[in-house]
Amino acid sequence: MYGNGYISPEETAKQKPDPLAGEDLQQLALFEERIARGEKIEPQDWMPKEYRRQLIRMIEQHAHSEVIGALPEGTWITRAPSMKRKLALIAKVQDEIGHAHLLYNAAETLGKSREAMINDLLSGKSKYSNVFNYPATTWADVTVIGFLIDGAAIVNQVINAKGSYGPYCRALERICYEESFHLKQGHDALVHLAVGTKEQRAMLQDALNRWYRPIIHFFGPSDKASVHGTLLMKWKVKMASNDDMRNQFLDQYVPKIRELGLDFPDPKLNKNAEGVWEFSDPNWDEFFATINGNGPCNAERLAVRRWAEEHGRWVRKALINPSQKQVLPLS
Amino acid sequence: MKSFDPRVNRIKPIEEKTEMNIGEAWEPYEVFHQKKRGDHHIHVGSVHAPNAAQALLFAKEQYGRRQNCVNMWVVRTADVTQFQYDDADIFETAIDKEYREAYGFKVRDKINAYKKQQTESK
Amino acid sequence: MTPALYNFILKTADDCFILGHRNSEWTGFGPFMEEDIAFASMAQDKIGHAWLLYKMLDENAAAAETLAFKRAEKDFKCCHFVEQPIGEYDFSLMRHFLFDHADQLRYEMLMNSSFEPLAHFAKKFKGELKYHTMHADTFILQLGNGNEESKARMQSALNFCLPLALGIFEVYEGEQEIISQNIFAGEKVLQEKWLEKILPIIKDAGLQMPDMATLQAVNGGRHGFHSDYLQPLLKEMREVVDAFPDAIEW
Repeated sequence: MYGNGYISPEETAKQKPDPLAGEDLQQLALFEERIARGEKIEPQDWMPKEYRRQLIRMIEQHAHSEVIGALPEGTWITRAPSMKRKLALIAKVQDEIGHAHLLYNAAETLGKSREAMINDLLSGKSKYSNVFNYPATTWADVTVIGFLIDGAAIVNQVINAKGSYGPYCRALERICYEESFHLKQGHDALVHLAVGTKEQRAMLQDALNRWYRPIIHFFGPSDKASVHGTLLMKWKVKMASNDDMRNQFLDQYVPKIRELGLDFPDPKLNKNAEGVWEFSDPNWDEFFATINGNGPCNAERLAVRRWAEEHGRWVRKALINPSQKQVLPLS
Repeated sequence: MKSFDPRVNRIKPIEEKTEMNIGEAWEPYEVFHQKKRGDHHIHVGSVHAPNAAQALLFAKEQYGRRQNCVNMWVVRTADVTQFQYDDADIFETAIDKEYREAYGFKVRDKINAYKKQQTESK
Repeated sequence: MTPALYNFILKTADDCFILGHRNSEWTGFGPFMEEDIAFASMAQDKIGHAWLLYKMLDENAAAAETLAFKRAEKDFKCCHFVEQPIGEYDFSLMRHFLFDHADQLRYEMLMNSSFEPLAHFAKKFKGELKYHTMHADTFILQLGNGNEESKARMQSALNFCLPLALGIFEVYEGEQEIISQNIFAGEKVLQEKWLEKILPIIKDAGLQMPDMATLQAVNGGRHGFHSDYLQPLLKEMREVVDAFPDAIEW
């Protein structure tokens, strides 16, 4: 699961005024022609430095999001309330770790080692999807994450799977296939609460209330100006605007909540005559505060990952093979 | 602070800086997976492992977990030799090599003409 | 089904259920991503096996849920070994190695069981169990022969685990009946086979086997006397179910 439509502000600020400075224009033209023809870029190809930098950042953030995303749902892994839910949740969280693994490999083909990526996660230098900085406080949260966060992630990932970088597309193809199970199991568990006792239903509504804002935040704020026609769009790194993806998500999923007689806590949430979803101001200040480390779970998420890395170190070290070579995965 | 995750409450999460050292993620192996007997092994991705035996185990989990599989190969990425994409033009051909394609050989017209000639001469 | 057979199946299932539950805790916490995935797979296999066995005890679908989520602690028949918290990876790995060899051998023996449903499952579980021991052996051999730290950790994990592991083979009520009816050849036979199987691997891993004569098996589980860890485990597992007594489905 994840959405990486959002490009974090400090990165945007860091972006050089001329990201193409110093590039070989002839190579650049060939590179852009290839993308325009719908061909994929492979790791060994020439590519502009800015393309490489943006992709590493994006795929790496996606990978971190999978690894951190395993934590909020994992919160309920020992407490899932039936045999089937228990098995499905273990399998689902396991898949998220599997996705992280695929994505770290895809990012690594661009030249950044797995160790370096994990270190940037642990130090807080590299971001992950903001949505995972919120706690899963009840069992119903697991169903909301499984259905709606995974649903949002699928919207994002299906779009990104049409991007230009071969290894990322291949990873996403596999991920999307597995996400369809995640979505189904999430929906199934959510529906069981919705049609269950009034206490089960109340727990679900409470979870929907708490997750509404993080869900609206999921795709990030409106892109400044139009993203259509920007370099990242032209290079097929970014495939759709944040608003477009959010709109597609709301269009698909709001009806699926409303058909259960449930709703989100926003009287303004509505589709207008032009088919565009409108909603109340979701307080983007809260979003920026959270992504910059001040959300309810940022510290815990990273501290748990540090525990896992620190306590696993002796295993990794003991397995090091003196003849191992530092090379990049092929594709 | 108490976590909502009982597993987290059983450990002492670490606030201080922690780093992975280079080499702790070992080295990549490429994974080839065979769906059923009779099929080719197909490249499906890579795993990081300290040796081939371990790479096979990891490959089984990552690439055999969710799909049919009867066999797998792993190969050290460092041992793979490949062409450069820059040299992809060596696969292009200047002339249409119809002399090495089935469609490059059409004798039906000749046979028909011959048959017609035979009938007419009778 | 005779009480002896019921008891035999129940304790076999409880071991797998509780160990699967424990191992699922590693998901997201393992020493590297590949091990998170592996422990999660093996946890699913174990819980899956337990689920099938619970269903064998009572065909009513809800009965398996009751056995897992409503049964009193004293009615569980698992050994203390599987109840222990996951601790550090060295303990979890050694437990996985010692338990899974016993588990694999148990089902190998059950392939010839006179009780057909068990023989059927034994054949069905074969591949998964083979993979579990393959996974365990690979790591035990690597870490036992690894560096000073990993050797020391593996050795102390082995020393700590062995008395607990012997609790797997505790005699249970009705065992004589199970043996005489050719359902299962017995825990004593299993323990002998198990030792024969693990000793060479332990040796190849460069580890020292403690003197078996000095070891005292940690027993009690087969008779419903458990370690201090089972009750909190069950309480945690049932937190959601317990909080919604009227809920019928999840």
